[in-house]
Amino acid sequence: MSTEPTGNVGRRALTPARLELLLPVTAIAVVLVAWQLSGFFINPILISTPTAVATDLYNLFATGTILGPLGESLEEMVIGGLAGIVVGIGIGVLMGRYVMMEKVLSPFVNFFNATPLVVIIPLVIIWVGIGQTARLLFVFLITLWPVLLNTVAGIRNVNRGYVDVGAAFGLSERQVMWRITIPAAVPYILAGVRISAGLAIIGMIVSEMEVSLTGLGYMLITFGNSFLTSKLLAVVVVASLFGVGNVLLLQWIQNAFFPWIRASAAAQE
Amino acid sequence: MNVKPLLEIRHLSHTYETKRRRVEALRDINLEVRAGEFMSLVGPSGCGKTTLLRIINGLTPHSEGSVVLDGVELRGVSRDMGFVFQDINLLPWRSVVRNVEIGLEARGLGARERRRQALNALRLVGLEEEAEAPPYTLSGGMQQRVGVARALAVEPKVLLMDEPFGHLDNFTRESLQIEISKLCTELGMTVVFVTHDVDEAIFLSDRIALFHSSPGRLARIIDVDLPRPRWQFNVRAHPLAIRLRELIVSELDVRRGLAI
Repeated sequence: MSTEPTGNVGRRALTPARLELLLPVTAIAVVLVAWQLSGFFINPILISTPTAVATDLYNLFATGTILGPLGESLEEMVIGGLAGIVVGIGIGVLMGRYVMMEKVLSPFVNFFNATPLVVIIPLVIIWVGIGQTARLLFVFLITLWPVLLNTVAGIRNVNRGYVDVGAAFGLSERQVMWRITIPAAVPYILAGVRISAGLAIIGMIVSEMEVSLTGLGYMLITFGNSFLTSKLLAVVVVASLFGVGNVLLLQWIQNAFFPWIRASAAAQE
Repeated sequence: MNVKPLLEIRHLSHTYETKRRRVEALRDINLEVRAGEFMSLVGPSGCGKTTLLRIINGLTPHSEGSVVLDGVELRGVSRDMGFVFQDINLLPWRSVVRNVEIGLEARGLGARERRRQALNALRLVGLEEEAEAPPYTLSGGMQQRVGVARALAVEPKVLLMDEPFGHLDNFTRESLQIEISKLCTELGMTVVFVTHDVDEAIFLSDRIALFHSSPGRLARIIDVDLPRPRWQFNVRAHPLAIRLRELIVSELDVRRGLAI
C-alpha cells in the first residue's frame, strides 16, 4: 500500500479510492474512442464502430427482431442448465457420501470433465436428431461436470468439527448429512454452479450454431455470413450480457439465501 | 463425600494404528466421577485427556474396558451427555438458537418444545437476547457460551468440556470460569473438564485427575478442598491453592524432566 501525503488530497483529490474507479473508466473510454476513430481508416466490415454497434443494438430491440431468438436461447440455457446443476448436485452428493460410488463413477466423471464436449455434438445429433431436445441435452451435458465435481469436493472436505458436533449430540447419519454436511458444502457447490452457469451459455450458443440454427447462435451465423459486422457485434454484446446476468444472479442468490458464506469467512480473518 | 459414582471408567485402554506404528494412547484408566462433582483432567499435551473425554461421550471408540453411566455400560454416543468443544464449531448457517437446538433435533422433539428448551439454555448463559443472531456476529467468549448452552439444552447427566476456554483471551477466560463455576453449582451439574491450565483446574474443580503421557495414564487424583463459592475470594492467593499448584506442577514436572 502506498501512503499518499494527505496534503495532496485537497486540490487534486486523487485518493486511491477514486483512482481505483478512474483507471478502468478511463481505459474503457480510451478503447472506445480509439475504436471509433479506427472507423476512419479501417474497413468497417472488419471491426465496425461503437456507434454503429450501439445503433444496431437499439434497433434489434426496438424492432423486436431479437426478442424471439433471445427467448429461445434463454429457454435452452435455463432448462438445460438447471437440469445439469440439479443432477450434478444430486450425483455429487451421492459420490461424496458413498466411497464405492465415487470409486466406480469418478473415472467417467473425470473423463467427461476433461473432454472438450463440443466433440460429442455429432453423437448427440445421432441420438436425438437436430431439434430442441438435442440442444437441451448438449447444454445439460456441458453443465453437469463442474458442479458435480465441486459438490463431491465440498462433501469430502466438510469441516470435521461440524460433523463432530452432529455426532456428539447423537444425530443420525442421515441427519448429519442433511443438516450439517450438505449445508457446509454449499460454498463449494455455489463455486461449481458459477463455472457451470458460464458453460451453459457456451453450450447454448454452440448448440444453436452447430446443432440447428435458432436463437442467438442463428443470428450470429446469419449476420456473420452476410458481413453485417455491426449487427453481429450487437448480438455479441447481448450474449455477453447473459454472462453478466448469470454472475449477478448467482451473487444475489448467495447474498439472499447464504449470507453466512461471506460473513463467516470475513469474521474468521 | 461418600456418594455412589454417577460415571465410572473401568480398566479403559485405547490403542490405535497409524501407518507407521501402534500408538498406545491410554493405558488402564480407572476413574469414578460422583454425581454433582466437578472433575478436571489435567496433563501435558499428548497424555490422551481429550481422547478420554471423546471416549466417555462415545465419539471415539475404545479398545478395552468400559464406560458406565448410572450403572449402565455405554455403547456408542451417549444421549445423556453434553459436549463442549474447544473449537466451538457453531454452524454458521444457523442462528444462535437453532445451533442450541441441534442436540434436541436428535432427540426427536417438536419444533416448539425445541425452541422452548433452547431458549431456556440460552437464558442460563445470559444470551437469550442473541437468540436470532448469526453466530459469527458474536465475540469468541459469547460463542463459547452458546457452545455451553448447546450442551446444557439436552439436559445432560454429565457435561463434558474439552479445553473450552483454550482459544479465548485471559479476561474472557476468567469471566467465563466464574460463570461456569456459578452455573454448574446452581444446576448441581456433574462435569468432566479437560484443561492443561493448572490454575483453571484448581479454581473450578472438586477433584483433579492428573495424567502422565506416552502412554496416557492416570497418575493420581487430588482433592481440591477450597471453600465455595470461589469467585468471592482470590483463589490464586489462597495458601491451599498455592500448595496444590506446587504439588501438581511438581508431579507433571517429573515427567517433563524425563522426557527431555
